[in-house]
Amino acid sequence: MKVRFWGVRGSVASPMTNAELAVKIETALQLAVKAGLKAETEIPAFMKSLPCYVRETVGGNTACVEIQAGDKLLILDGGTGIRMLGLDMIRRDYGGKPIEAHILLTHTHWDHISGLPFFVPGFNPKNKLTIYGAFSNLEARIRNQQKFEYFPVPLPAAFHFVQLKENSVFQIGDVQIETLPLNHPGGSHSYRMTHQNKSIVYATDSEYKDLSNHSLRPFIRFFQDADMLIFDAQFTLLENIEKEDWGHSNVFCGIDMAIEAGVKKLMLIHHDPAYNDQKLYKIFQDASEYLEIYAPDRNLEICLASEGLTLTV
Amino acid sequence: MNITEEMKDNISRIYLEGRFDANTCADVEKFIREKVEEGKYRFVINMEKVPFIASAGLRVILVFAKELRQKFKGDLLISNLQSSVERVFEISGLKNVLKIYDNMENALQSFKIEN
Ligand SMILES: [Zn+2]
Ligand SMILES: [Zn+2]
Repeated sequence: MKVRFWGVRGSVASPMTNAELAVKIETALQLAVKAGLKAETEIPAFMKSLPCYVRETVGGNTACVEIQAGDKLLILDGGTGIRMLGLDMIRRDYGGKPIEAHILLTHTHWDHISGLPFFVPGFNPKNKLTIYGAFSNLEARIRNQQKFEYFPVPLPAAFHFVQLKENSVFQIGDVQIETLPLNHPGGSHSYRMTHQNKSIVYATDSEYKDLSNHSLRPFIRFFQDADMLIFDAQFTLLENIEKEDWGHSNVFCGIDMAIEAGVKKLMLIHHDPAYNDQKLYKIFQDASEYLEIYAPDRNLEICLASEGLTLTV
Repeated sequence: MNITEEMKDNISRIYLEGRFDANTCADVEKFIREKVEEGKYRFVINMEKVPFIASAGLRVILVFAKELRQKFKGDLLISNLQSSVERVFEISGLKNVLKIYDNMENALQSFKIEN
């Protein structure tokens, strides 16, 4: 399966500010002076040597992850990141056939659905875009977002709906999909996608307050041996405890659960809008050190998800 | 996890032995909860024999420290951390909000100064 991250921010879209951009440019220039850069030809190699929080940004778009599994295109959540995905999709070659995609929604908080009205493949009625959700009134909730009071045009005809039950198991072609309810105000649902013996779990918007084995067991079972776990690590551990019942988690908890479940790769997403690149990178570095202390012999890999990141599972 | 308590000068000294993680956090939580319900609000947790702490353990400690401070004007102090455990307290940010001491004496002293 091929995975691409189009939106990794939680809560609300949060574009980089001019002040943050200025800090990046200034830091890069300082490092260039230090490195004694003399010619333009040295720039590409120098760029590569820059710390990633200087060279790039994790991005400000909210939740959207694309998964290509064989000939099926799955889209996890329709946050603002889905707008860029839609633009990319209409540039792809479908051999003259209409676009078909399966949009799996975790829940309908704005950061997971507000990109849907701007998803360009929706504008062509020949395309078939199926939205799935395991929460009540799926179709009404999505249509209501485009009522006249909120948006100038109603939801176009290309969209179709499949209302799922809690704890569903179903197929999209040869991809098996399972769902599991998470701990989130108003509810959220995790998806586990299995294709050709590889599994990806998308588990965002969930809080784990009781961290005893007994209480985590249903989640550990659902995450068991996943090749990739895409995990809500919105807060630092401290802020997570301060913001009790906000429905999110932290990277330390993610590492503990991933190790317990034998996960191979842990992707951190749903970054807090108040955290800039430097802070997120610091959190990631601390998390890497924690993993080294906790389980140096495990082969769990952790990764800070950023916009545009593409990985193969 | 082996948990023992020694009560002296109105301060509960708790000695932990073993890994403090998802397997053991419920035991520690239950133990301290019982003490709080008995009306004890001042704790020093000695972690000399704790080789590792996971997020489950960090959470129990922080939640109790917060509760004791806010509801009972008490506190929960930490002493005798092994170096790797101390590093976990640092990188998780807990070192900034908890009182951590090299040894039991210094921790007890700080309670006495507060009096
Ligand atoms: Zn969210
Ligand atoms: Zn949410």
